[in-house]
Amino acid sequence: MNEQLVTCTALTKRYGNKLALDRVNLELGRGRIVGLLGPNGSGKTTLIKILCGLLQPSGGAVLVDGQTVGPYTKSIISYLPDRMYFADWMKATDLFDLFADFYKDFDRTRAMNMCAALGVTPSDRLKSMSKGTKEKVQLVLVMARKAQLYLLDEPIAGVDPAARDFILSTILTNYNEEGTVLISTHLISDIEKVLDEAIFLKNGQITLHDTVDNIREREGKSVDALFRDIFRAHNMEGGAF
Amino acid sequence: MFGKLLKYDFRSMWKQFAFIWPAALALALVNRFTISSLEGSSTVGETTAGVAMLIYVSILIAMFIIAVIFVIQRFYKGLLGDEGYLMHTLPVRSWQLVGSKLLCAVITTAVNVVVAIFSIFLIIPWNHADFQEIIRAFQYLFSHWDINATYGVLGIVESILFMLVSFATGFLQLYLAMSVGHLFNKNRVAMSVIAFIAVNTVVGILLNTASPAMEHVFSAITAGTAGMSLYLRSICIAIVGELILSAIYFVGTEYILRNKLNLE
Repeated sequence: MNEQLVTCTALTKRYGNKLALDRVNLELGRGRIVGLLGPNGSGKTTLIKILCGLLQPSGGAVLVDGQTVGPYTKSIISYLPDRMYFADWMKATDLFDLFADFYKDFDRTRAMNMCAALGVTPSDRLKSMSKGTKEKVQLVLVMARKAQLYLLDEPIAGVDPAARDFILSTILTNYNEEGTVLISTHLISDIEKVLDEAIFLKNGQITLHDTVDNIREREGKSVDALFRDIFRAHNMEGGAF
Repeated sequence: MFGKLLKYDFRSMWKQFAFIWPAALALALVNRFTISSLEGSSTVGETTAGVAMLIYVSILIAMFIIAVIFVIQRFYKGLLGDEGYLMHTLPVRSWQLVGSKLLCAVITTAVNVVVAIFSIFLIIPWNHADFQEIIRAFQYLFSHWDINATYGVLGIVESILFMLVSFATGFLQLYLAMSVGHLFNKNRVAMSVIAFIAVNTVVGILLNTASPAMEHVFSAITAGTAGMSLYLRSICIAIVGELILSAIYFVGTEYILRNKLNLE
């Protein structure tokens, strides 16, 4: 087992001539909850997609648990994308079968219990479920694994504030405590209280990576307030307001 | 892992055929009765038989068209659409994803052919003179087995193989075209269609350019053969040719999925 769970070295991603990630250096340890914070278009999703193997970097290197991205790293990563990824004809139980087949760390009993707690009927067809219920199913799939790295892309963006707490508590009560949770979001105040570390991403570059306690101590304000300061200044520079 | 992928590909593919295969066979049975009741029948009987036959033929044609549509859809939605977020983060390799889709597609099409042939046998009444004739021919063949019979069986096996490999080449060309279309940020469907035509054109030009050399090879391999053994060797060459094309398409598709994937 490698000491660092994630190591990115000069990681770069270019879409045409647009730089989405610009020589990002990042190390993530184990057993932490990390916020990946930045406005829309700052490169959050790109970084997550590279870590889970949906995108190939244009330059630099990524190691997860000491390995390049491939079947092994995919087997220890549990990824929640920012969209629905299942075929409509399936039932939630079909997806549980699929996850149990492909991921050794998937705990079916836990998935069923989480469904009960979230009020999801797993024998219903996904087609007949509401958008919110489908999101819950996807969250159940992701959190019922005892993964080393959870990559959660905007898990609370599309839901009302009451449901946000519900989702956050589901994440907190179910994640593997030896693993690391990376949550990308721009809704910082809602998740600040659960974070151990925060990463600020701006125009494809990491401008800050520290523990939340250090940030509060050094800056004398919450991560949310700091984030607002930094990115409001950025907007005014750009003349957006 | 490959077997598990196949399991889910078959489940999503065959779910679609759960209705159409039994329907084709049932309609064949209906035709068996409407046709056999034709002798000395009225206009009403003839019309019924005509309509039944029309529906049966339509469903056979639909079966093959639907198969091609599903092959395209399973690849496009399953690997290049939103489902790709799930499939490409499974702990498997890209070639397994493509291979599983391909094997599922070829087997489904082969089952289509089997269902179509079997349905024809269902239509012909078993006491029909032609049918009896065929059975007698086979009985004769088995009781007087010789080298020609062996050639005949080999010819059938090779032809079936050729058919399967041709399906695979066709499907892989579709996969490659969709993957190339995916390289573009806009109009991916239109770009896929253009890529399909482009691949067709390039292969056509290459085959034309290489044809004198290929004729040379062909005549060297088939020299001194005639009749059935000429046929056997020719089909063999055709199978190898299709396999080479398949391999090129497969490698190209896998390369794009592994290195250039960019789901929306």
